[in-house]
Amino acid sequence: MFRLVIRRMLAMIPVLWLIATITFVLLRIVPGGPFDAEKSLPPEVIANIKAKYHLDKPLTDQYLIYMGRLASGDLGVSYKYVDRSVNDILRDALPVSLLLGFLALTLATTVGLTLGTIAAVKRGTAIDAFAMFLSTVGVSVPGFVMGALFIFVFGLWLKLLPVALWESPWHMILPAVTLALSPAAYLARLTRASVLEVIEKDWVRTARSKGLPVNQTILRHILRNALIPVATVLGPLTAILITGSFVVEYIYAIPGMGRFFITAVQNRDYDLVMGTTLVFAVLLVIANAIVDISYQILDPRIRIEG
Amino acid sequence: MNAMKTSICGLLLLLGISIFCTGCQRSDHAWEQDTLRINIAAEPPSLDWVITTDSTSFDVISNLMIGLTQYTPKLTCAPACAQSWEILEGGRVYRFHLRKDVLWSDGKPVTAHDFEYGWRRLLNPATGAQYAYFLYDIKNAFAYNTGLIKDGSQVGIRCPDDYTFEIELEKPSGYFIYLSAFCPTMPQRQDIIEKWGNHWTDPEHFVSNGPFLLSKWEHEYKIELVANPHFIEGKPKIEKLKMFMIPEQGTAFALYENNQLDFIDNRSFPTPDVERNRTSSEYKNIPLLRGNYIGFNTQKVPFSDERVRLAFSMAIDRTIFPKILRRGERPQAAWIPPELIGYSKDSEITFDPVKARKLLADAGFPDGRGFPKVELLYPNREDTKLVVEAIQDQIKRNLNLQVPLLNQEWRVYLERLHRDPPLVFRGSWGADYPDPETFMNLFTTHNGNNWTHWSDPYYDDLVTKARAEQDKDKRAKLYETADTYLCKSKATIAPTFLSTQNSMIKPWVHGIDLNALDLQFFKTITIGN
Repeated sequence: MFRLVIRRMLAMIPVLWLIATITFVLLRIVPGGPFDAEKSLPPEVIANIKAKYHLDKPLTDQYLIYMGRLASGDLGVSYKYVDRSVNDILRDALPVSLLLGFLALTLATTVGLTLGTIAAVKRGTAIDAFAMFLSTVGVSVPGFVMGALFIFVFGLWLKLLPVALWESPWHMILPAVTLALSPAAYLARLTRASVLEVIEKDWVRTARSKGLPVNQTILRHILRNALIPVATVLGPLTAILITGSFVVEYIYAIPGMGRFFITAVQNRDYDLVMGTTLVFAVLLVIANAIVDISYQILDPRIRIEG
Repeated sequence: MNAMKTSICGLLLLLGISIFCTGCQRSDHAWEQDTLRINIAAEPPSLDWVITTDSTSFDVISNLMIGLTQYTPKLTCAPACAQSWEILEGGRVYRFHLRKDVLWSDGKPVTAHDFEYGWRRLLNPATGAQYAYFLYDIKNAFAYNTGLIKDGSQVGIRCPDDYTFEIELEKPSGYFIYLSAFCPTMPQRQDIIEKWGNHWTDPEHFVSNGPFLLSKWEHEYKIELVANPHFIEGKPKIEKLKMFMIPEQGTAFALYENNQLDFIDNRSFPTPDVERNRTSSEYKNIPLLRGNYIGFNTQKVPFSDERVRLAFSMAIDRTIFPKILRRGERPQAAWIPPELIGYSKDSEITFDPVKARKLLADAGFPDGRGFPKVELLYPNREDTKLVVEAIQDQIKRNLNLQVPLLNQEWRVYLERLHRDPPLVFRGSWGADYPDPETFMNLFTTHNGNNWTHWSDPYYDDLVTKARAEQDKDKRAKLYETADTYLCKSKATIAPTFLSTQNSMIKPWVHGIDLNALDLQFFKTITIGN
């Protein structure tokens, strides 16, 4: 397993290099630059600014400068937030998104697995229909609609929870629930399908015929085997959730990283786009590696070459 | 089943926390004691006033700092760090006499050298300051900023003594005094900036001389200012100013309705809520010095013919804009806003579809026949879309012309305007200072933002003369003539409407003075019954 971890870590380097290179090129292709403004600046001033950020140099030089800095862990500077480095910006924003993402992930996994398992075990009953109705709603209603609805119902109408902002643990409830809805619904559907497949297997029938209680059969024999497809999607899902959601952070005014995925591109804030993309890529690769390792725990038959 | 029990326990826990938090939210009154809570909607790109250029940063800086002068609610310049000033040599030299009792927040006195350092830093090419060009009227400033001269001491900025600050201009400039109240020209501390570098704007290093001090800056979330006990006009009545960065209008408005914000403006005010609250005593609407227009590329056929431009401009009924935008916009048929000198009703172009059709026919397109395909470029924004759709409809009805709309992402749209302006485009301009120069200079030959590419020596001459004129009445007349020429005679642009500021102020907030420049000063605010 140790060799697997090391191998994954080493494989990450070319992947990140490729992502950085593609992003770098794409950003330069997109029309419009970081200093285009409604009030355009005199060319002399633009020249000063470009010189300050090395944007006056040929693209190959810019690329080499960026890669050189990246190799030393420096993600560059923001052109929009002029006093701040991308490292500083992400250092402030990422923990917020991580916290919110983990809350949402915990909620989504708990609710999704429970709902999916119950629906499968009670297949064809009203409970199954209700659980799948909930998951359809969760998958199809967009986050900004649910967010606005939650703010109105729980914040303004019932006055049970804060409308927005990021001040205390209870400020996290509505955003975490909003963020968890869609993945919970997706996981519920996936779990249901997966459990239904396993529930028909011979070993389940054997376990039941030996007199094993239903609960233990579900936990020991069904869920463990049914979780493999779920674990596969949990990897990218984790990376998506913990790097923040633009919609949820926007609606609830949360100072996380999710907003930069959109605003940095709008602002043509090159280094910040690169920084957010790379952080996302690193987390995605790590999450996928963890998923691969978890396969072996869930099903010892799966052996990945170390 | 265990999983089910866990989730039920989790839900009960959430419910318990919710009920607990409901108890926590209760308070004797709806406001926070001696605190004003507002929404600035976005993270200020920087609090270094030499570097930053945007209104969000200026909203914060305006409450942290004072410059040589400061704006009154009527947007005239009143003494601030400078107790008096003289305009010498026919408007070429400005001499400011500084007060000796203005202190930085670390107790050091504000001197003329702090202004000298700040102004030179603004012009230093290494700073890369976007607003350096505002000082190009100063002797040798352009040459220094563009690297033609390396010695900053040759720039016309001097300190004859610690409390006298002197500026020498290349030529007289009628609006120059306004720059002394402009954020980028506020004083700076060389020792602090050199010691802390880019981190000098962190709250623990920041020094200021204005009504409030920077106490907390949670990036992308909140800035907190506290009253400055040593402010020269006396400590502000409120102790704290909380500036939240809530990007979503609807959320910010919900917080206002929930008494968690005390004052909101356009940034927190969705249009349906503006309509719903128009009769409320908390609602205020004022016109801003932000003009919107439809521009024509005057170098390309058919808009090189002024009759075509006049036909387009006369075919637009400007009263439609407040009806479709629903934020109290003011229809605008001349380029200088009514709040500024130089405005005249006579400069306005009139809505006259009959004359418009005749002009189009005279230009060789009777009833629109033979008119080439013309696209109207606009940026990807909902309100702008409504405006251009209304114009498209009016041009169709009044001139029988099809004008397809071309929508582009904001930066792509800007890049297109800079590179190759299309035949017709939507433009807007917000004033940097309360003087017609900011609007009228825009359409002079060498202005980098003149996307119409219009070049008219007569107009250029009028604006140049107005800029240098020291007599206020003569200046006003020159600008009026230029505005009439621009909009009514040549129709280089078709002004459409003036944007407005829509705000809501809670009844317990007193003393907010809104102004057309959209600068928000909170030093005189009080909170309570």
